[in-house]
Amino acid sequence: MTSPLGRVVATERRPNTPHEFHFWTALDSPVGIGTIVRVDGANPVDGQIPHVYGIVVEGFSYTDLQSPMHDVLGYDGVPGNAGYAVTERTEIRLYSAAVLRQIPDEPLQPVPMGEVFLAEQEDVAIALRMDSYLKEGASTGIPIGVYRAGATDSVIYLDADFLIGPEAAHLNISGVSGLATKTSAVEWLLKSVFTHFPESKGSIAAVCFNVKGPDLCYLDLPGRIDERDRELYEKMGVAAEPFDRVSYFAPYTAKGFQLNTLRSNEQLTHNVTPLTWGLREVLQFAEVLLNRDDVDAKADALIDFISERVVDTRIDADGYLSRSHTVQSFADLEDWFRDLLRGMEAKNSESWRTHHIATIRKVRNRLSNISTRCAGLVTDSGDVSDLPFGSFEDRTVYVVDVASLEEDAQDLIFARVVSKLREHLERRTLGVSHLIVFVDELNKYAPGDGQDTYVRKMLLDISERGRYLGLVLFSAQQFRSQVHRRVVGNSGTALYGRMDADELATPGYSVLSQATRTKLATLEKGQLMVRHPHFTQPIFVRFPRPMVMLGRDGAELYPQASEVSFEVALYRALRPLDDSITVQWAAKMIALYDEADIMKARNATLLARPANARGYFESQFRRKVPVEAVASAASESQKVPVRTLPVDDPYAF
Amino acid sequence: MGHRAGIDIDLDTSERWPSSVHAARRFILEGIAGASAVDEPQAERERISRADEPPVLAVPEPIEPGRFRAIDVSPAESRRATGFGGFLDGTQEVRVTNWCAGIPIVWGTVGAAVLSRVNRRLVAWPRLGPLANKRYYLPFRYVTGMQPELAVHPDVVDTGAADSSGAFPTRHPAALLERAFQAVQRDRERLEQTLAEHWCERESTALYIDGSITMSAAASSPLAVGVIKSHRTLYADGGAFDVVMGLKSGKRTTVFRVKPRSRQSVGSFYVRTRNPAGHDALFGLIRVEISESDDISARADEITRWIINEGSPLAMPDARWDRMSYGISETDEFLRAIS
Repeated sequence: MTSPLGRVVATERRPNTPHEFHFWTALDSPVGIGTIVRVDGANPVDGQIPHVYGIVVEGFSYTDLQSPMHDVLGYDGVPGNAGYAVTERTEIRLYSAAVLRQIPDEPLQPVPMGEVFLAEQEDVAIALRMDSYLKEGASTGIPIGVYRAGATDSVIYLDADFLIGPEAAHLNISGVSGLATKTSAVEWLLKSVFTHFPESKGSIAAVCFNVKGPDLCYLDLPGRIDERDRELYEKMGVAAEPFDRVSYFAPYTAKGFQLNTLRSNEQLTHNVTPLTWGLREVLQFAEVLLNRDDVDAKADALIDFISERVVDTRIDADGYLSRSHTVQSFADLEDWFRDLLRGMEAKNSESWRTHHIATIRKVRNRLSNISTRCAGLVTDSGDVSDLPFGSFEDRTVYVVDVASLEEDAQDLIFARVVSKLREHLERRTLGVSHLIVFVDELNKYAPGDGQDTYVRKMLLDISERGRYLGLVLFSAQQFRSQVHRRVVGNSGTALYGRMDADELATPGYSVLSQATRTKLATLEKGQLMVRHPHFTQPIFVRFPRPMVMLGRDGAELYPQASEVSFEVALYRALRPLDDSITVQWAAKMIALYDEADIMKARNATLLARPANARGYFESQFRRKVPVEAVASAASESQKVPVRTLPVDDPYAF
Repeated sequence: MGHRAGIDIDLDTSERWPSSVHAARRFILEGIAGASAVDEPQAERERISRADEPPVLAVPEPIEPGRFRAIDVSPAESRRATGFGGFLDGTQEVRVTNWCAGIPIVWGTVGAAVLSRVNRRLVAWPRLGPLANKRYYLPFRYVTGMQPELAVHPDVVDTGAADSSGAFPTRHPAALLERAFQAVQRDRERLEQTLAEHWCERESTALYIDGSITMSAAASSPLAVGVIKSHRTLYADGGAFDVVMGLKSGKRTTVFRVKPRSRQSVGSFYVRTRNPAGHDALFGLIRVEISESDDISARADEITRWIINEGSPLAMPDARWDRMSYGISETDEFLRAIS
């Protein structure tokens, strides 16, 4: 039995309540803001000694000095004299604690007077109601960090049923930029989830959108952690290793030669897959790229018509179309539009199948430039390289790198990927039963104010209905107050790193005490405040650095491939598939065929990943005979001299 | 008389003894037939608790060579220099809880404690904890209807007994109150003496005692230093008056002998701890009592330095902060907290 570190006190002016109590401690006690304590009542209630668990939310210190002036007078106005006083004033450390739990739960009474003890490991489990989900053999606990106070070093678990669903779900993390807390915390938590998510609950994978910088680009490479972090990993039963299964997806650059990602170093491209979509994939999400002014009811109707009646359908020539069309790519669509408008103009017709010519011109204009606006992602040709929807693997991270893309392309990728994930999860055909989607910069994608966007609607949909499907949103942002309330409100679990003082002054944080807010404003790297449905008050924990390479380290060790010539880009793209591929071979192929055809063949080869990539690539072209060879053959076989003009030719000049 | 909740007249059980004025009042209603409860107003309470002696001027009898004079004490080498290791103070509260046929029943609470200094912080002296008594003071001879158990209880004091001259107090309520007050005061002094004597036997550092030490056996110990803040008796008759009244901050007077009747003889001197400019004549003036010794001049100088150093931190908000040390102020606060 440990000795008490404090005593509960209450006065008429500052009484204890069922949710708050006050206690004093010795000056050297290890109590601070966020410390969990246990109060043992002195008198039994219904035959049971009450135990009250609380977390320190406010601290006070004062002496018996009645006025600061007395101190000035006492030391003759010379601060240094205080150090010479033979006696130090009596000083008090008085703390206020918010009640976490009372045992017994009923009757709920004001906290009794009693001795205060530092909560030990088992006290922490009871105080945070972790005892209800850490049962031997049926544990759904996911370690989030370690709570430390005095000699207590206790692992804090989140309940998988409330983090991944179905009871509650989603996680939101806030914190100032630059400390790497948000990304690090998510990387650590994903590792913890992959390790501790109960097998009985099914499989789980994660799709992370890398929206800025290189932070998520090296998840499969080991990072540097110190001994303290290793101890944390060991204590929480998580292997201090990088993610062993990571797949990267990135679109091409606008030129289409190489992938538009910071992970383009030749040594790392083995698990980077191009992300390219054609007309069919994009048209369904045209709304993402077209703003409200663009898409009125008439335009919307025409786009629907094109999606359902034009794309992938043979359209025969009619009074307007001069020939039949089968639209499978943006290039085909443009041909169709051109033919149709020419026909309408020729007939001086104002409408085609109830669609006015002005609407047709407008939709043509908006749709045709999608492939320009999203060059590298959207191909004119209609080639598709996508995430492996339907064959997602358990405990695998899929990173979609959109960091270097324009905003339109980012939105399009986000909207389509999430929609497809949702569709597959609804049909139970994704390959895994639970999927975590990590989105950073939620301020941008789901702002609390401004226009309603397609992406925001999707995020709202995930946060409100995703848990029933196993689609879980892990989101992060700098300013929680600027994110849509329904998105953060539906996050069952909230993490807070170091916060900006201005952000803490917003009404959303008014439920926290001033001391807790001050602590939040000064949190160290590696510390988090955790709110979870089982915890009646926020808890401070320490988590280890993720065992993955830091973005800046990765960027230094594996610098991004510089913009290269087409032949080198082709060589780099196909070389991982076939050792026989050389730059000379690539240069030869480029000399033989059109750039568009080369890229089409490259995309097809990368998608098929055949055993003989070189052969497969070459098979994508119709056989061409090199010009030199033809000339040479002609000279060998015919060798017909050029006929000379007759001397007496009257028409000669 | 019916049994009331919270009252138990079983006097054999010390746990049943009243712990508050309210309980004491109800206890007497049970224990003395015909007693009535009373809650005297605050002003009356303060009047009862104060035994104002008449102001007296006495002639000092110097025991230090030379005439009675102000002596400049060189400042201590360090402002932290002090020989005091503890502070002793006592407290008393006198309450008239009941009246019985015109006779006051007094409930007296007395306490005394020593705070010792450890690493510049004051803590309750661990060798002998604070002492406290809660007792009734009443003249048995004038109170009728008193249960016999009360009369033999050790915490019921008979204030109607004959004094050393064999005279009994009159029935006059004021005289009986005066008797009761003196009995309470004696009880407090007894507690203080006990603590002072224990300190002097067990400790090696000086004890700062609030009040006179002449009634205590500790008066002969070099460790006991009594500091008197009130000056009802001023040892400054004749030429000494100007010396005492004109004493400047940081100075002391010649050591003189104080030998009250039936008490111990001690050496005493005045010290001005603070500059009295702008204040009354007694501002910052204290009288110190120490045991007589051969080196009394040097000791007086040393103790003067200690006392001046003990003036920091200030004992504010106590009204007597100019004369009170912080240690005594804290002991006083401590006693208030535990009583």
